[in-house]
This record gives sequence, structure tokens and C-alpha cells, in this order.
Amino acid sequence: MADKKKTRVHLKPNMHNKAVRPTRADKTFQVCVDVFMVLMLIIILIPLWSTVTLSFRPNTYIGTYLEGMFMAPWDWSFDAYKALLGNNGFVMAFTNSCKILVGGVVSALLLTIPLAYVMSVKSLPGRKVLTTIILIPYVFDVGMIPAYLLVQNIGLMDHLAAVFLPGAISTYNVIIMRQFFDGIPAELKESARIDGCSEVQILIRIVMPLSKAIVMTIGLYYGVSFWNNFFNAMLYIQDSNLNPLPILLRNILMAAGMNEYVEVSAFGNAPIEAIKAASVFMSAIPMVIAYPFIQKYFTKGTMVGAVKG
Amino acid sequence: MRKKDSAERAAGQPATKVLKDGTTILVAPKPALKKEILRHKDVYLLLLIPFVYYIVFKYVPIFNAQIAFKDFRARDGVLGSAWIGFQNFTDFFSSFYFWELLRNTLMYSIGKILISLPVSIILAIAIYECTHYALRKTVQTLAYLPHFLSWVIMYGVLFALLSPSSGILNDIIKLFGGQPVDFLSSVKAFPWVVLLSDAWKEMGWSAIIFIAALMNIDVTLFEAAMVEGANSWQRVRYITFPSIKPVIVTVLLLKIGTILDAGFNQMYMLYSPQVYSVGDIIDTWVYRQGLLQFEFGLATAVGLFKGVIGMLLVVFSNKLVSKFSEGSSLF
Repeated sequence: MADKKKTRVHLKPNMHNKAVRPTRADKTFQVCVDVFMVLMLIIILIPLWSTVTLSFRPNTYIGTYLEGMFMAPWDWSFDAYKALLGNNGFVMAFTNSCKILVGGVVSALLLTIPLAYVMSVKSLPGRKVLTTIILIPYVFDVGMIPAYLLVQNIGLMDHLAAVFLPGAISTYNVIIMRQFFDGIPAELKESARIDGCSEVQILIRIVMPLSKAIVMTIGLYYGVSFWNNFFNAMLYIQDSNLNPLPILLRNILMAAGMNEYVEVSAFGNAPIEAIKAASVFMSAIPMVIAYPFIQKYFTKGTMVGAVKG
Repeated sequence: MRKKDSAERAAGQPATKVLKDGTTILVAPKPALKKEILRHKDVYLLLLIPFVYYIVFKYVPIFNAQIAFKDFRARDGVLGSAWIGFQNFTDFFSSFYFWELLRNTLMYSIGKILISLPVSIILAIAIYECTHYALRKTVQTLAYLPHFLSWVIMYGVLFALLSPSSGILNDIIKLFGGQPVDFLSSVKAFPWVVLLSDAWKEMGWSAIIFIAALMNIDVTLFEAAMVEGANSWQRVRYITFPSIKPVIVTVLLLKIGTILDAGFNQMYMLYSPQVYSVGDIIDTWVYRQGLLQFEFGLATAVGLFKGVIGMLLVVFSNKLVSKFSEGSSLF
């Protein structure tokens, strides 16, 4: 997909393609496009940048917050980050979130890959029934209370697994993955079958090595959903020692009144706004670090899903 | 591939098949069902754990949804509570907040479509047309990023932007001599904060599908148009836009299916009692009623109502999509 994209863009006639001399309208068009793109860049960056600079704001800084955005990097204070990293509650929440992330992605992939693969075995008797069984809950969403009762009844309350297990199979991800498996040439599987491979062996030896991109993509989708999951943790985790990062982050962000301020001020002497912004940035950082590495995979994977619907 | 399949399925037919080019091939007769099942026994084994998962985590909640028709008491459990028919539903429909919730929900979901869809289409076309490689790559990469941030994080970002005490937007307002505005608790500003923050977060991500469609445009069309003397604006107007029109319609139709989802996570993070009149949507109401007030039966009834309407809409919109464009619907 990436190669195709490059050649397409290269082939597309534009100002650098001198076959036809660009007219005045063409030049205006390019300027408009460029201005729009720069404008978009600014619109995307301003909120992010204001959060980042807010987190570096020193306690002694007297300028407005707008001026703070243009503060020189040598004036930045790392007090907020030091305070967060030295805070037990924060470190504990970060650890909990990491546990949820790893446990969630592993169990989600172990459940999703076999299911998607089985759905792509064309000769399987009962495949239509299986598809129906999988689509019904996807289309018919009964809401949060019945799911809450389920977690309560099977005794998952106050377990970290309660945060990721209810979302460990996303039907949408199963469908995307199945579409990818459908695209693997049947001849490959057939030849392995003739050589005496069982279906499980075909999945492990033939299909998996061909599916790195889609596994990375789906793994990323799951990873993001578990790392960001706030709602399940709010419903199912009451023990504050088990709180994941989004819950702690919300508590920090909502601490506005004087009473809560005392609690938050346990974080040290950085300004409370800086603490808030720093905890926002710290919660986003695993996502930001992992993002460029996986981006090439997800564009590939999403394109596959997108083009096919 | 598909041809072979259909040949296999046609049991009782002669075991030969004539291909298009006239050659005759032997086709394996369709094996007996029992034999097929036995041959696939390891496939079924592979299915075992996901199947159990589906029963527990997807079908038990559907079973639990029966409490919508019951006077649910935790002590009696799902099965033990008394049936009360449609009492919970009529309670909800006759209450004054029903119309308010419906209005708010529709306002946000339709508003989000009206704002995000044009923005993401224009963004996709701009990314496609931009000739500066570095600029294009930077915008593309950064525009996808906010999609991966949770609404809790988004709330923090909006705080740095909009807070009356420490937000930069209010600093700008003050710079021009205005009074600081508390955007998140003003009934007037709140809907715009919701709609625009959603557009900001999702525009890059929703542009992906349009970029994918743009990449499939046959470039010879552009070359022909150039030779014929069409300028860039005309090329966008008559080639680029019409080529992605089917995708736009498909996306629009699929959005109909989720029109009752106005974004629980976003609303839950952003709203507060001051703005309930414009911020309360069906999902947030179900949450408060069910899990804070413990009106399980009533909350489930509302959730079920939303689920049934949602299901009808999804089926309907997918029917439309499959009628409109081959192969992009769910079923």
C-alpha cells in the first residue's frame, strides 16, 4: 500500500510535473491548499502545545498562560513531573494501567485471532450460524446495566480483569481481521492441508506469519481501548489501590475546590495546573511513544478494512 | 476460489465441470455433513474458548436485559424479581425528560456529522493535493494522533485551553478586554465545545477512509483533464470529489445506524449539573439513573429501547448501503 501511495502521488500531475504549464488558477489552488494545511497544523498543535507548556510552568512564573506557551525551554520547570513520579498513588496507577494493557492485549488477541480465523474457514459446516451468533450482540446493544449485573454476578468486581475482559472481543476487530484472513490465497492453506497440517497448524505456521500487519493493527486498537478505558474501571473497581491511570487522572483533573486541593497538594510544590497538565501528558505518553512505530501498520491495516467496508 | 466452492456445494451433480475455456475438470463430490464436521474437529476446538466468551460476555447481558420488564431488586436477582410488563417503558416515555434526552442525543449526533464530515472530507482532499511532502506527512501524522487520546486526556487538554483561570482562550479574550467565559458550564457555549472538540479529535481519523478512496482514483483522469485544459479547481470539482462521492454516501448512511450514540465518554467527562439541560444524553441518563440511583429496571428499559431502535437503524442503513454500493455493508 505504501509503495502504491508514493507512485500515485508522484504520478499525479501537479506543479512539479512540467508536462503542462500550471496556470494562474493552478498556482492559487496550490497556495490555498498549503495555507489550509498550515492552518490545520496550527489548529491541531495549539491545544497540545498549551497542555505541554502548562505542565512545565514554574511556580514562580507570573506571565499569563498565553505567554506561557512561548516560554523559553530553559525556563521550564520539571517540578510537576518530579512530583508525579515521586507520588505513590501515581506510580501505582501507572503500574495498574500497564497490567491492564498487557493482560488485555494478550487475552484479546488470543480470543480474536482464533475466532476470526475460524470464520474465514470457508468449508466449515455451520459457518453461517456462527456469523449470525457473532453479529447479533454487535447489532443489538442492550446497554450498560445488564453488563454491570454480569460482572457483579461472576465475581469480577475489584479485579483488574474486569476492566479488559468485557471488551476482550470487539466484533468490529473480528470482522476486520476476518476480511484480512479471507484475502490470504486459499492455495497456500490447501497445500499445507495436503501436506497433512491440521487447521491449528495452518493458523500458526501459514496464516500468522502472513498477518503481522493486521495483528499489530488490531493489537494497537485493543491496546488503545484498554489503556484509555475509563468507564469499566469506574464501574467495576472500587479499591483505590487498583485504580488505573484514567481514574486517577480524572480525580486529579476534577480537584478544583479547596478540600480536594489539600489532597492534590500532596504532590509537592508545583502549581496545581502544572500537576494537572503533567498528569495528562504522562497518561498520553505511552500512546505518543508507541504511535509512530505502529502508525505504518495501522494505515496499512485500516486501509484494508476501509476499502472493503 | 468462489467457483470451486459453489461446485463443491452442488451435491449430486456429475463430478465433472466444464470451465469457461472448454476444458473439463473433475470436481470432488460434496462430502457428507458428518464427515465434514469430523474433518473440522480441530477448528471447532479452536472456537471453544471464544464461544464460551461469547455466551458469557455477550449473551448473558442480553438475557439480563429482561429486567427491563421487571421490578428489579438486587436481593431477588434477575430471575427472581417480579414481572411488571411495560411499566418501566411507560414511566420513561411519559416523563418530561424523555423529549429532552432525545433532543440532546439527536442534536449532538447530527451536529457531529454535520461538522466532522465536511471537515474530514476537505482535510482528506487537502492532504491528497498537497505537494509538499514534509507538510503532508506532518499533518497526516498529527491529525490521526488525537483519535488515540481518551476523553479523560481530552478533558485535560480542553482544561489548558478553555479554563476560566488558566486557559489560553480566556487569556486571549482578556487581552482584547473581554470577560473570561467558563465555556464548560455555560449552557450557550457547552454544545459548541462538545461538537468542536469532537471534530478536532476525530477529523484525521475519519479522513483516512476518504484518503484511501482518493488513492484509488485513476490518475490518467487527471492527465486527460490537464491536457483538455482543466485547472486544479475544476479537477477537484469534476474528478476528485465525484470519485469519492460513493464513499461519502456510504459513510453518511452508516452513521444513521449510530445516530442514538452521541458519545457517552465525551459527555460524561465534559458535562456538569449546570449544563444537564443541554448536555444530558440517553447514555449519561441511563448511567446516572441505573448506577447512581440504583433504578436498574428503569435504566435497563431505556438502554433496551435505545438498543432496539439502534438495531433497526443499523439494519436499515446497511440495507441502504448494500443497495447503493456493492460489498461495503456489514452483512
